[in-house]
Amino acid sequence: MSKKNFRDVISTSRIVVCCGSGGVGKTTTAAALAMQAAEIGRRVVLITIDPAKRLADALGLSELSNEPSRVEHECSGELWAMMLDARATFDEVIRQQSRDKQQEQAILTNPFYSNIASRLSGSQEYMAAEKLYELFNDDRFDLVIVDTPPTREALDFLEAPQKLMNFLDHRVYRWLVMPARGGLRVLNFAAQPILKTIGRVIGADVLADAINFFQAFDGIEEGFRQRALAVQTLLKSTDSKYVVVASAHHDTIREAIFFTDELARVGTPVTGLIINRLQPKFGKGSATSSTTAARKATQDGDTDLAALHSNLAHVRRIVQAEEATLKPLLDSVGSALVVRLYQRATDVHDLDAIADLGRDLVASTPTR
Amino acid sequence: MSRMLVVAGKGGVGKTTVTAAMARASADLGLRVLVVTLNSRQGLSELLGGSATDGSDYEGTTILSGLGPKKTGSILLRSLTASDALEDYLGTQGLARLAKRLVSTGVVDVVASAAPGIDDLLVLGKLKHLVGLTGPDGDHDLIIVDGPAAGHAMSFLQSPAAMAKTISGGPLHSQSNEVLAMLHDPDKCRVIMVTLPETTPVNELIETTALLTETVGVHFGPVVINGVDQAPEITALVAAGRLPEGELGDAARYRASRCAMHAHEVERVNQLVATRSISLPHIASAGLSAGDIKTLAQALSVELSAQS
Repeated sequence: MSKKNFRDVISTSRIVVCCGSGGVGKTTTAAALAMQAAEIGRRVVLITIDPAKRLADALGLSELSNEPSRVEHECSGELWAMMLDARATFDEVIRQQSRDKQQEQAILTNPFYSNIASRLSGSQEYMAAEKLYELFNDDRFDLVIVDTPPTREALDFLEAPQKLMNFLDHRVYRWLVMPARGGLRVLNFAAQPILKTIGRVIGADVLADAINFFQAFDGIEEGFRQRALAVQTLLKSTDSKYVVVASAHHDTIREAIFFTDELARVGTPVTGLIINRLQPKFGKGSATSSTTAARKATQDGDTDLAALHSNLAHVRRIVQAEEATLKPLLDSVGSALVVRLYQRATDVHDLDAIADLGRDLVASTPTR
Repeated sequence: MSRMLVVAGKGGVGKTTVTAAMARASADLGLRVLVVTLNSRQGLSELLGGSATDGSDYEGTTILSGLGPKKTGSILLRSLTASDALEDYLGTQGLARLAKRLVSTGVVDVVASAAPGIDDLLVLGKLKHLVGLTGPDGDHDLIIVDGPAAGHAMSFLQSPAAMAKTISGGPLHSQSNEVLAMLHDPDKCRVIMVTLPETTPVNELIETTALLTETVGVHFGPVVINGVDQAPEITALVAAGRLPEGELGDAARYRASRCAMHAHEVERVNQLVATRSISLPHIASAGLSAGDIKTLAQALSVELSAQS
């Protein structure tokens, strides 16, 4: 069913994923949606990744964690929030999947595992998706709002489960687990030409850690794969509503268009588009009419009035420029809700300001 | 002047715009500039007024030439990815034949997981190689790198120090040390941080510069503050309090408050960051054209010559 406005989105959805490139106010927007949802009675949990410090403070989040905590906020529903600790989440998944303590410890203490958990491209995105899956299935909440990681590619979030599956399916991985299955000794195995080459490049001790890791991992990769598949299915299901946050800068617009096109291609079209930090409009006239008025005032010798008209012409040119910058994105989002939010006098970083932004957001009538 | 400038900053601050403007300003002085993009789809070629599709060409494409007083200035654009760098590196290790196969099976991901930062280190290693080719008798006078996007700049620049610790010996260990030596040499490499005149971006700038100084020991060029609005006439009128009702007065108050905020943030950068800053004007146009980049390049040259 198509939504009339953002109040509909937060009233009826079970998952809202906020995406967009860094610096567009994505976390603040996600927090504003979560507060509004709690105010209309929903039990909402907000998953944030690396929020600016003052925003984290406002939400009462002082450290990374693996568990949401309740935000003190007067509302008919409940507001919970967490700052994702990707590493702790990864550790938790390993604990759940391991067949015994010994296997669990062998993996958790392996240096190569450490690297994967913190640095494998996409692991933070995957853990955000994993946490989303977990909280979606948690009876305490009826709405999960996710602020996606500030990625090089916004799509990494959606593709993270597939990436993890690819990693597990990789030929190199197959080679590495083979000796454990075949009963060969690691040492002999490491003498194979391809591994010797890799060892020469990355160092023999690093390679040994990798081999040990994959051998310790043997037997639980199937569970991992099943889980990744379930997470991916949820991300691509109709339960997941995608909201793209953008600002009128041409580089963020470029990224947003790429992202909305990809979402449409994989069959989960964008539900809503929030354009943040636009310059406010003043009156209904055009930049050209203000320029004409400024010229007339100059001829009349009123320099103050001329300056005021020139200024109005300037801010109107910015409005026109922003709209022109946005046009290709508006064209690419199809029938999605589009809401414009305007620049505020101060940074939005306390709960009152976020709530205020949220009211603007849900009350706005979508426009084109 | 440094041989290489790495332009860095959070997403949305206009890093690519600044890269393009710096390249243009340098080429207008007659320098042969190599622009390296670590991320395709940036539209750099378009911004510089070239017709080539974006930096997908590994060897590079000449975007502009015949610039500057003696017509010697030019801009060459090329891309550089971790896969390119790995292939190159294996080639130098006498493993060229294997390199192609490894890269085509996507082994980079696995290798990068085994030794995190290896992808970044290899890219930096390749940049070091390119820096070696600069100079009066070399291929280029200046390299400008459109640094990695949002959140990644820190780990990118920290990779050699981390790798030197992880890997105790062998070719990669020495590679790490050589790259570190380059990062420590202000004649070879400086980092240009880009920010916006707003509270959160400036806070992040202050944190990042402090951290990069401490953990990597890089040297900084001027901080570029992008999109700074100045309207002294309007600010004076608002201060005098003689404003008409309605849209004229509202627009003036809005503009003056923005300018005041920008001035405050520029001041904060100057107080809290050790290097000097350059303010680039806000440009009111749809997208940015090659003409806008020229305007920004001129503003950059003026600021630079005023400061030097």
